Amino acid sequence: MSGVLTTDIVLPGMPSLPALYRRAVRHAAVRTVRRASPPDVLPDVRHRVHGVVADLGALTRFQQLLGSAARDTLPSAYVHTLAFPVAMSVLARPDFPLPLLGMVHLSNEVHQGRQVGAFEALDVVAWTEDLRPHAAGTQVDVVTEASVGGERVWTGRSVYLARGVRARGDDAATVRRDDRRPAFDPPVPTGLWGLGADTGRRYAAVSGDWNPIHLSGPTARALGMRTAIAHGMYLAARMVDEAVPAPHGALAWRIDFATPVLLPGTVTTSFARTAGDGGGSGGSVVEVVGWSAKRRRPHFTGWVRAE
Amino acid sequence: MADQAGAQTTASPRTAVVIGGNRIPFARSGGAYAYSSNKDMLIAALDGLVARFGLQGERIGEVAAGAVLKHSRDFNLTREAVLGSALSAETPAYDLQQACATGLETVVGLSNKIKLGQIESGIAGGVDSASDAPIAVSEGLRRVLLDLSRAKTTQQKLKTLATLRPKDLSPNAPTTGEPRTGLSMGEHQALTTAAWEITREAQDELALHSHRNLAAAYERGFFTDLMTPYRGLTRDANLRADTSLEKLATLKPVFGKSLDTPATMTAGNSTPLTDGAAVVLLGSEEYATANNLPMLATIVDAEAAAVDFVHGDEGLLMAPVHALPRLLERNGLTLEDFDFFEIHEAFAGTVLSSLAAWEDAAYCKRVLGLDGALGSIDRAKLNVNGSSLAAGHPFAATGGRIVASLAKTLSEQGGRGLISVCAAGGQGVVAILEARN
Repeated sequence: MSGVLTTDIVLPGMPSLPALYRRAVRHAAVRTVRRASPPDVLPDVRHRVHGVVADLGALTRFQQLLGSAARDTLPSAYVHTLAFPVAMSVLARPDFPLPLLGMVHLSNEVHQGRQVGAFEALDVVAWTEDLRPHAAGTQVDVVTEASVGGERVWTGRSVYLARGVRARGDDAATVRRDDRRPAFDPPVPTGLWGLGADTGRRYAAVSGDWNPIHLSGPTARALGMRTAIAHGMYLAARMVDEAVPAPHGALAWRIDFATPVLLPGTVTTSFARTAGDGGGSGGSVVEVVGWSAKRRRPHFTGWVRAE
Repeated sequence: MADQAGAQTTASPRTAVVIGGNRIPFARSGGAYAYSSNKDMLIAALDGLVARFGLQGERIGEVAAGAVLKHSRDFNLTREAVLGSALSAETPAYDLQQACATGLETVVGLSNKIKLGQIESGIAGGVDSASDAPIAVSEGLRRVLLDLSRAKTTQQKLKTLATLRPKDLSPNAPTTGEPRTGLSMGEHQALTTAAWEITREAQDELALHSHRNLAAAYERGFFTDLMTPYRGLTRDANLRADTSLEKLATLKPVFGKSLDTPATMTAGNSTPLTDGAAVVLLGSEEYATANNLPMLATIVDAEAAAVDFVHGDEGLLMAPVHALPRLLERNGLTLEDFDFFEIHEAFAGTVLSSLAAWEDAAYCKRVLGLDGALGSIDRAKLNVNGSSLAAGHPFAATGGRIVASLAKTLSEQGGRGLISVCAAGGQGVVAILEARN
C-alpha cells in the first residue's frame, strides 16, 4: 500500500449485515443531499474479527441449499459468506468513497492452501485496495483473508464496480471503452440450473445477505434493477461445488460475472475438465461457463482448480 | 486340470478380504445429525474411508450401499454419494435394501464379486436417518394428484379435486410396523421373548455388557481407525458408560404390555432410533498387496434365511437362527470353532432368544432339522466391543459397523468370527470372517 502504516481496527465481534445495509442507506441519502467529494482515496484501514466459528445449523442449511454434501469442512464460498460482514463493514465506512448500495460485483478469485474445518476458529481481516477507473465507472478490490492460528488458509479478492461514479480528473473518455463485446460462442452445455423466483430469498436465508436486489422484483426495482437477480456468491458456490464436489487439499477458483441472472430463470452450464497444470501434481482444472440459452448471453465464466 | 478347457470356471474362487472400515459415530434420532440427510452421512463415512486409505481419485470396482428409510428422490443414493465423494467419478455404484441386513448383504454381494474376479476392490455399507425420515402424502392425496395430472379439462380437474377428503391431507410417516401383521418390530420381539421365557434381568444384563464393552473399546482406542467424527460427535451418542443394572431396572417396559406374561422389554434393552453411516473397504488379496493395504480378515462365506412369521410359525427376528446351521454345515464348522460372535442386538431379547434356540435340542430337532442342540455360545466371546444396544442401530449402517469391528478384532487377536443380523420381513443374514493367519 502507500507506505503509511495501515490502521488495523479489531471489531468486537461479527458486524450485523442488516445494520450495515441500514447504514449504507443512510449514507446514500446523505450523499444525494451533500454531493460527496469525488472518490479518489480509499480508507487505509483493515477491519479484523477474531475467532469466527461457523454455526453448524447454518452451515448445514447452506450446504444443502447449494447441493454440496453436509460434511465437516467449510465450502470455499461459505468462508466468503462467513467473512462477508467484515468486508462490508469496510465498505460501509463513512470514508469509503463509493456508494455501497448498487455496487456491482464483477469477479471473485479465491485461493486456499487447504480445506477449512467446520470447527476451526477463523481470524478474518478485510480491506479495500486498488481504486481504479473502469469503462463504466470506478472499480475497487475488496480483499478478505481468513487465518487459523496465524496460518493464512483462505484469501479472497472481490472486484466491485460503482457504475457512473468517476474520480476527479477521470474523464470517461480516457478509459478505454470496449463497447463491442466479443461475440459469445456458447460451449456444449452439460447442465441446467433452474432457479425459482425464491432463489434469492433462500440464499439470503442461508447466507445472511439480505441485499434487496436479490429478494424480490419490487425490492430490486427500488434499487434500479429490472427485477431480482441471483446472488453472485450463490452462482459461485454452486459452480465450485459442482466442479470439485469433494475438495481435500488446496483449492483455487475464479468467477467473472457478465449479465446478471434474472429470477426466476434458467442458467445453462458447461463444466469441462481441462488437463491439470502440467506439473504432474495430479491436480485438475475445471472450466465453467453459465449462460442464457434464450438470450445467447453469458452470465458468468470461471474456473476451479483443485489439488 | 490346467490344460482342461473348463479349468477357469472350475477353479476355486479367489479370496476376498476386509481391508478396513470407517463409520461416523451414531447419533440418537433428533440429535447431532438431525438435519443431515442419508446422502450427507454416507458421504461423510466415505470421506473418512477415502482419506484413511488414500483413495482420492481412485476408481473402485463397485460401491454398494443402501438405506432402509429412503426418500424417493434418493433412488440412486449410493451413486450420488460416490459423485459427491473424492472417489473417481468412474466408480460404479448400486443401492441395495434388505432392511436391517442391508449393510451385511452389501458386504456379501461385493465380496462374491471379488471372489469371482469381477472386481478387485469394493466399498460396502449403509446409512440410515430416523431423523430425516421421508414423509409421504397419504394414499388418497397421492391418487388425487396423479389423477389431476392426467385430467385434461377444467371440469375433470374439479371433479378429481372434489374426491379429496380432509383426512387425505395428513401425511404418512414411516413406521417400524410389519406391513403384513401390523405389529411393530418390538411387539413381534415381545412375542418371541415371552415364548423363550427370557427374563427382564437377563435382557438388562446383556444391555449392560453392551454398554460396558463399547465403552471399554473406546477407552483403549479401538475405534480410532474405524471412525471419523462428524458434526461434533466423537462417540456414539447412545453410549451410557456409567449405566448399571439398577438404572436399567428402573425403566418401564415399552413392548409386550398386552401379553399375559410380564412385559420385559424396555428402552434400555431395545435399540433406540438412530442416525449414522458405515462403510467397509473390501478387496482381493492381489489388490491389497499391490496397493500396500492391510488385510484384516477373510470373508469366508454367508447365508441368508427367512421365516414365516406371518402365520406364527416362527418369531419375526429368528431367521438367523435358521441360517446359521446351514452355514456351519456347508463349511464343516461347529460353534466351538469360533472365537468371536457378533450377534446384532436389535433387542436384547433377540440375542437371548437366538442363544436359547440354538441350545434347545427339541427345537433344533423339530424346527431346524438337526440331530440335537446346535450348541451354546460362550458369553465372553459375544459382542466383545459392544453392539447395537450401546452403539445404536441406524438400520442399514449396522452391517458395516459389525464387519469392520470384527475384522479388526480378528486382525488383532486371530481366530474366526461369526456375524448374525436379523431383519424386518422375517429375514436374516449370517456370515463367517477369518483372521489372516
